[in-house]
Amino acid sequence: MKMNRRGFIKACGVMTGYAVLGLNLTKEAVAASMDFVGLRQKSVYDADANPKIYKLRKSQDNPMIKKIYDPKDGFLHEGPCGHMSHHLLHTHYNDRSARVAALKANGFKLKF
Amino acid sequence: MKQIEGVMYQTNAPKGIDPDSIFFVQVDATKCQACGNCEEACATGAIQSINDDGIRQVVDPAACMNCGQCLINCPYDAIYEGVSYVDEVFEKLKDPNTVVVSMPAPAVRYGLGECFGAATGTYVGGKMHAALRQLGFDYIWDNEFTADVTIMEEGTELIQRVGEQGKKGARPLPQFTSCCPGWVKFAETFYPDLMPNLSSCKSPIGMLGPLAKTYGAHETETPAKNIYTVSIMPCIAKKYEGLRPELADSGFRDIDATINTRELAYMIKAAGINFNSLPSQAPDPILGDSTGAATIFGNSGGVMEAALRLAYEVLSGKKLSDPTIKVVRTHEGINAADVDVPGFGTVKVAVASGLDNAAKLCDEVRAGKSPYHFIEVMTCPGGCVNGGGQPLDPDVRASLFKSTVAQINKRFRARTVSA
Repeated sequence: MKMNRRGFIKACGVMTGYAVLGLNLTKEAVAASMDFVGLRQKSVYDADANPKIYKLRKSQDNPMIKKIYDPKDGFLHEGPCGHMSHHLLHTHYNDRSARVAALKANGFKLKF
Repeated sequence: MKQIEGVMYQTNAPKGIDPDSIFFVQVDATKCQACGNCEEACATGAIQSINDDGIRQVVDPAACMNCGQCLINCPYDAIYEGVSYVDEVFEKLKDPNTVVVSMPAPAVRYGLGECFGAATGTYVGGKMHAALRQLGFDYIWDNEFTADVTIMEEGTELIQRVGEQGKKGARPLPQFTSCCPGWVKFAETFYPDLMPNLSSCKSPIGMLGPLAKTYGAHETETPAKNIYTVSIMPCIAKKYEGLRPELADSGFRDIDATINTRELAYMIKAAGINFNSLPSQAPDPILGDSTGAATIFGNSGGVMEAALRLAYEVLSGKKLSDPTIKVVRTHEGINAADVDVPGFGTVKVAVASGLDNAAKLCDEVRAGKSPYHFIEVMTCPGGCVNGGGQPLDPDVRASLFKSTVAQINKRFRARTVSA
């Protein structure tokens, strides 16, 4: 296909237009979505600092925390990381790398 | 399939199935417009083009961390959820022999209101508790209580790890947080050599399930076998976590069902409850009361700040007069900070928002070059408030014009130019 000088310049202009416009809009879209998240984040910190919503701001001050860890008759009386804690509240992890290794061996490209 | 707050759901409630075999999110090929937003949002590359037309699919559940960032960034409503317990929860609420327990996460109360017309981020915690009572939940317990328990356990673990350095059999530093189920699966999948660095603490919901069926059962004189626990999350990956076979330490399944913020909004609407006119109500005590340290778990940097509010007081023996520790608050990216604790020294911490950022910190740890004591990771950029189970950002779908231009732009950039 032959293209004259005028047509070439026009095509360049259109392509530049799309590139600039698109780039800005994509940036805007990402920024807008993080603004949205920012509004929720701000509300979380406002609630934390609002004594009408949360009277106390430290976990160790929660009266129900004091009750459950009470050294005398608390359910977790041995304290954090004690025997009962380890039984109920702690866990172990499992190596799950084999299946992604198999995927990669089959030609799938992953980001890690 | 059922439409819930603009998202399609398959209404199956799996039991005793290996969660690694389930697609928790998947693309409806008939709705996919090949724009590629999901692929860009996906940290691992699990969602990718499967044909020349650019139609995307989650290629294998093993590569998917179930975070749902693809879903909330899809402008075409093309990504659906594979698991929903909504029908089963409704049945259990009707059953007089079942004692149904609510366990909502911190971030739910900052998103739920949006489904009822409130401004983005409006706090509706009190109304949420009232709505759960009206739905018929027998105990209004709250996952924020176990966020406080998590701080006690994970903070103590960190102090122990710091103390045992140099001794035989010492657990390694840095210690990573283990609250986020997407991150935990990511570490198990891509960095299994760093599993000893992960805190052994279960997530707050992993703690509330067994506490409800042991301590809660005892305190309320309820037979544990009658208790049905409903985890309510801003998250899709929590559905995977709830199905982990090892989470059965109470002698029963610790977590019976997991729903997300959108599904709770649907249940409230389906039950005909007028959410906006509800009074503000408190949760039930024992496993319901919480602090500001618990609610900030919903934000990236929140677990870190909450843990520091404990670590400072334990390590220094002094009272922290102002609990606000702004330096660790994270909107996006990686945030590193040195926190001076009198009588101890400097606590070096880092917060990663998003798995691509977490991977950078993991590579440092793997290379033995990580200077940190404690690292928090959240899979979703910004934290749980931006979770895959939260109400959708209206802007993502509002303007098809924007997404069309983004699509043209994407194709333009993707064109290969031969020199």
